[in-house]
Amino acid sequence: MAKMNTDAFIKIPGKKDDKRIPSRVLEEIIHRHIKNGRKSIEVEGFGQHGIGGRLWGAGNEKIHIRITGQSGQRAGSLGTANTRIEVLGPASDDIGWLNAGSEIIVHGNASNGVMNGAAQGKVFIGGSIGARGMTMTKRNPRFEPPELWVLGTAGDYFGEFMAGGIAVICGQDVDKEDQILGYRPLVGMVGGKVFVRGSVKGFSQKDARLSHLNDEEWNWLLIHLGVFLENINKTELLTSFSNRSQWQLLEAKSPGEKAEGPEKPSMSWFREQVWDKELGKGGLIGDLQETKKGSIPLITKGDLRRYIPVWEQGRYMAPCQAACPTGIPVRERWNMVRLENIDEAISMGLEYTPFPSIVCGYLCPSPCMASCTRNQNYYSPIDVRLLGKAGEKVKLPKPSKKSKKRIAIIGAGPGGISAAWHLTLKGHTPTLFDTGDTIGGKISSVIPGSRIPKETLEAELNRVKEVIPDIKLNQAINGGEFLKIKNDYDFTIVAVGSKRPRSLPVPGIERAVFANDFLESSKKDKVTPGKRVVIIGAGNVGCDVATEAHRLGAKEITMIDVQEPAASGREKEDAQAIGASFRWPCFTKEITKKGVVLQDGEVLKADTIVISIGDIPDLDFLDEQITIEKGFIAVDKFNRTSDPRIFAIGDVVGQGLITDAIGSGRRAALSIDRIIAGKSPDYGEILPQIDKQRISLEYYNPRNDADNLSDCGADCASCGQCRDCGICVAVCPEEAIKRVEINKQDFEYKVDPDLCIGCGFCKGACPCGIWNLIPNTAL
Amino acid sequence: MSSNRKLEPSSLSLNDLPWQIVYNNDRCSLCGQCTAVCPVKAIELSVFQKRIIKISIKKDKNQVNEYDTFYGISQKTRVENACIGCAMCTLVCPNDAIAPIKNPGLDRLKFHVNQQGIPRRRGGRRNSSQSILDRIKFTRISMLTDPALDAGRHEFEMRTLLGRVLSPRENMKRLREKGWIPPVREIYPLIIGGMSFGALSPTMWEGLQMGVAYLNEELGMPVRMCTGEGGCPPRLLRSRFLKYVILQIASGYFGWDEIIHAIPHMKEDPCAIEIKYGQGAKPGDGGLLMWHKVNKLIAAIRGVPAGISLPSPPTHQTQYSIEESVAKMILSMSMAWGFRVPVYPKISASSTSLAVLNNLTRNDYASGLAIDGEDGGTGAAYAVSMDHMGHPIASCIRDNYLDLIKIGKQNEIPIFAGGGIGKNGNLAANAAALIMLGASGVQIGKYAMQAAAGCVGTEEDRCNVCNVGICPKGITSQDPRLYRRLDPEDVAQRIVDLFVSFDTELKKIVAPLGRSTSLPIGMSDALGIDDHAAAERLSIKYVV
Repeated sequence: MAKMNTDAFIKIPGKKDDKRIPSRVLEEIIHRHIKNGRKSIEVEGFGQHGIGGRLWGAGNEKIHIRITGQSGQRAGSLGTANTRIEVLGPASDDIGWLNAGSEIIVHGNASNGVMNGAAQGKVFIGGSIGARGMTMTKRNPRFEPPELWVLGTAGDYFGEFMAGGIAVICGQDVDKEDQILGYRPLVGMVGGKVFVRGSVKGFSQKDARLSHLNDEEWNWLLIHLGVFLENINKTELLTSFSNRSQWQLLEAKSPGEKAEGPEKPSMSWFREQVWDKELGKGGLIGDLQETKKGSIPLITKGDLRRYIPVWEQGRYMAPCQAACPTGIPVRERWNMVRLENIDEAISMGLEYTPFPSIVCGYLCPSPCMASCTRNQNYYSPIDVRLLGKAGEKVKLPKPSKKSKKRIAIIGAGPGGISAAWHLTLKGHTPTLFDTGDTIGGKISSVIPGSRIPKETLEAELNRVKEVIPDIKLNQAINGGEFLKIKNDYDFTIVAVGSKRPRSLPVPGIERAVFANDFLESSKKDKVTPGKRVVIIGAGNVGCDVATEAHRLGAKEITMIDVQEPAASGREKEDAQAIGASFRWPCFTKEITKKGVVLQDGEVLKADTIVISIGDIPDLDFLDEQITIEKGFIAVDKFNRTSDPRIFAIGDVVGQGLITDAIGSGRRAALSIDRIIAGKSPDYGEILPQIDKQRISLEYYNPRNDADNLSDCGADCASCGQCRDCGICVAVCPEEAIKRVEINKQDFEYKVDPDLCIGCGFCKGACPCGIWNLIPNTAL
Repeated sequence: MSSNRKLEPSSLSLNDLPWQIVYNNDRCSLCGQCTAVCPVKAIELSVFQKRIIKISIKKDKNQVNEYDTFYGISQKTRVENACIGCAMCTLVCPNDAIAPIKNPGLDRLKFHVNQQGIPRRRGGRRNSSQSILDRIKFTRISMLTDPALDAGRHEFEMRTLLGRVLSPRENMKRLREKGWIPPVREIYPLIIGGMSFGALSPTMWEGLQMGVAYLNEELGMPVRMCTGEGGCPPRLLRSRFLKYVILQIASGYFGWDEIIHAIPHMKEDPCAIEIKYGQGAKPGDGGLLMWHKVNKLIAAIRGVPAGISLPSPPTHQTQYSIEESVAKMILSMSMAWGFRVPVYPKISASSTSLAVLNNLTRNDYASGLAIDGEDGGTGAAYAVSMDHMGHPIASCIRDNYLDLIKIGKQNEIPIFAGGGIGKNGNLAANAAALIMLGASGVQIGKYAMQAAAGCVGTEEDRCNVCNVGICPKGITSQDPRLYRRLDPEDVAQRIVDLFVSFDTELKKIVAPLGRSTSLPIGMSDALGIDDHAAAERLSIKYVV
């Protein structure tokens, strides 16, 4: 057998016996020839699939496949590097699909999907290509990139998701310039280059960028254009393709470039150039209000603060002062103690009461202490009695200039004396009338000696006598006398107290004594109560009776009441200490020789029975112009009766504490002073009491139980009054608070609004509750 | 609470509060920013006392008690200062020392918010994270069956029609006879629903409008925004941007005289007119803009005096029946713009919605129907209305759409859905689900506030103070100290981000369905749900 010429083309028909050879059989025929050493094969295609691909059976031998007839879809697909495929006519879809190295030449147009997914090899198209050419192509770094050369134009959606390779579209014989690359090329392109001769429009700007060729690229293109034209037998076109200015390069954007995104106008440009231009300066509402550009921070200063701190010095009354019926500014006195003005702190008491020691120091149940903020945390209240007791020996306050107004005060008890005292201090001339032979009313007549040292009592009563020279004792006041006084004096103050004891409507009541009578006699040791004493009415006066009865020899003391006994404080403690028993509810049926008979028949044996169920005023001397309600004189808030020249104070307007009587005396005196001065008796709004929650007790040692003036001063929480501690200055995070001195005497804490952020730390830290945080005024 | 103090029924401890401040004294720098920023003054600087006991076992040693004082941030327990969980303190804290956490136990504040007999009122949402929309899946994915589309590669026409579309026969007839053809707008299917100038701050409102204008003019997306009932700034009425605006009229008729005055000067017709009859968040209840929000600016735009409360009654006073309401209002509003502008009612989702829809189908002037579901938001409402009144949007939309199919008008009158779309962040999925159930488009409110302005509201009863004008983000406040925190430009940019990303997501959903040229309205064969009853109720597939 003659040696076979393996280089000569062997022709394989696509049809046999007028029948199309199936793609599978044609594939087998080609492979058989390759196996037999054939290197040149001409296939007369009849639309068979994938002709010319996959010829790895040839090893490194160069194989040349020539396709005549109809090449079919995916000619040269999965092509190998040793294969050169030439299609002599037009090519069908997906030529060079998944090409792994073949060189494919098409001497005509190729339809859709040219080189789709190819990674190596070259495809030369001597015409134009359809849609989706060069899509999903890749470049494997181990090999040269795939190349696609197109003489004419590319169809729509060229280069989608192109990830590598080089495409050259020469744009030969194009009617309209914008058709070189079809509609929306290069969407999703991530790699590779596309050289285009002619203009480029509508490519995906998100993915690709257009540029001119640099020298290296141009040189590469020129050399390889020659190869391309040689392959498609059109070398004559080289000159016309060699105009560098006609060429442009499309390249994939880097991920970095893509992250920047396609260029869109900025919003601030839009606002300025489009929005405000159409609407006018200031935008949407620029015509209605001034608008400011930009935003403000979350933490603001000055006018932009939502809340602002206020130093509320002098705006609130301390709970102690608010609770004091006499109105003594207790907080201010402790402040003076802190400032080491101890003398002034003590003597200040006399500006409010004639009896700082007797009442504040001994007799008063101290409502100021009961309302002390420190009680909130069960801390011991500041002991005001120390200040009171120290008042015994204080020098007299200086009275004002004398006025010619004369005021009669009927009754020289604590209330009457208080009124006379304050009228004197204001420069008026009061006259005190009393039926008794001493001044002081109940203080001197009925309060047991055990409750107060005799010297203190005498010292303060003597001081009263010094201040008020005009005291008329043993003056019985009846209706006629009263009218005379009323006409003689500019004002009259009724202060006769409640001396008429309340009685019980039970048989045998005459066997009992009334508490005040008992106490008056006991004070002079003129009574012998016996061993057994029953006290009907277990209030504080009853307790005093019990204590006195015990002092005078009683052993078995029983206090009964119809309800839970009202006794409290020192009086109750003292009564309990001497062993008095409290019983309730007990309803008295009658009083017999044996003692008190209760409703249930029980007999409480007694040598002495004392009725202690309160007193009512004796007002028979008053004229009818003065309104009386339920046994007491009706007054307004200035203690003025229905007769504007007559005032009433103390127990005649309702039973109360001694301090109530002193307070009402002071109130009446000040009202009269204002009326004399031609003013309204109204002395203005009383300051509201500070909210105790604003006070920080955490600064004080809960175990301290101050027992001297200076410790008391230190532990007083100074509720609602700045104690000048400077904690706010220290705590303010913005150093916005400064202490400012005023006239070297006073001071103020001031906030610099340009530093303050309105955090309220000053309020939170302030021991005294001076700082408040309030909403800023609306802008 | 100090030891010697009266215990009251409403004396609450930290444990009773719905939000508790967790505070780390060791990390705190005492800078004051948290207390300065807190909108409800829930926290303050406090003085604390610490007892130190110094003891010794030795007999001769003194046992000593010492007291030390220190500072820290404490939480108030008064009802009016209860923490709302907004976490602005956390936002400003330089040391990460403070944060509110939700009380996992029972919220006992709930029992005490009715002080003085006033039930709780709030802004916000229903505070329930349940969402049937989140459970709907798109189960029809075309791969080889239909031309599968690629959201990133293919072009999509994400447009919907707002307006009455006549049947082809009727349309041809009217064309021939030169009759009136109803106006139809081609708009983007995601609409910013009605939030009034007043309910929203000026910066927020301007930001939304600016973003919408940008989307239209720079990105070619025909996005529309409804004004809500509070009028419209005169400048906007006289600008070309008006075409992006749906003007709302409601029972208070606020700002409408200004709109009437502006009509002769309008460069463009508005996109549409929405007649509000109901709101999903508080069906059957009206609105109330509290006096403290009615400042000079709001007053000027609404055409009322400043400093008075502005009630929008639950119903329009002069309308007594469906027939009358619909016919009278739609006709009046159509006339105002010479029948060139679509007019449609908005109602709250209800078991009675079908009656309204049936009525609209018989009225050529009716351009559509907007239905607002129970998950809609509001600037102010009684909590009981928000929490317990209303109808879920999904089944309501479905019922209405199926009703249209029954009478063959599903392509003629569009239904728009609102209320809770994206309530858990799944905006595109929820929107697509409603569209496939039959909505022609969706309206959003809260989502825009969250995405575009950082509203801190969640479904856990967080913040919810829109009604009292102290919005910490400046979204619903009329106080310049708050609303100036918000830069309209930033809001606009976020609106753009929101719509562009929504667009991508919507494409990702519709592309596998093979839809690129029209929205898959009513394409319910694409939907499935893993709940049999819900599947039955919505006439979609049950998938497990």
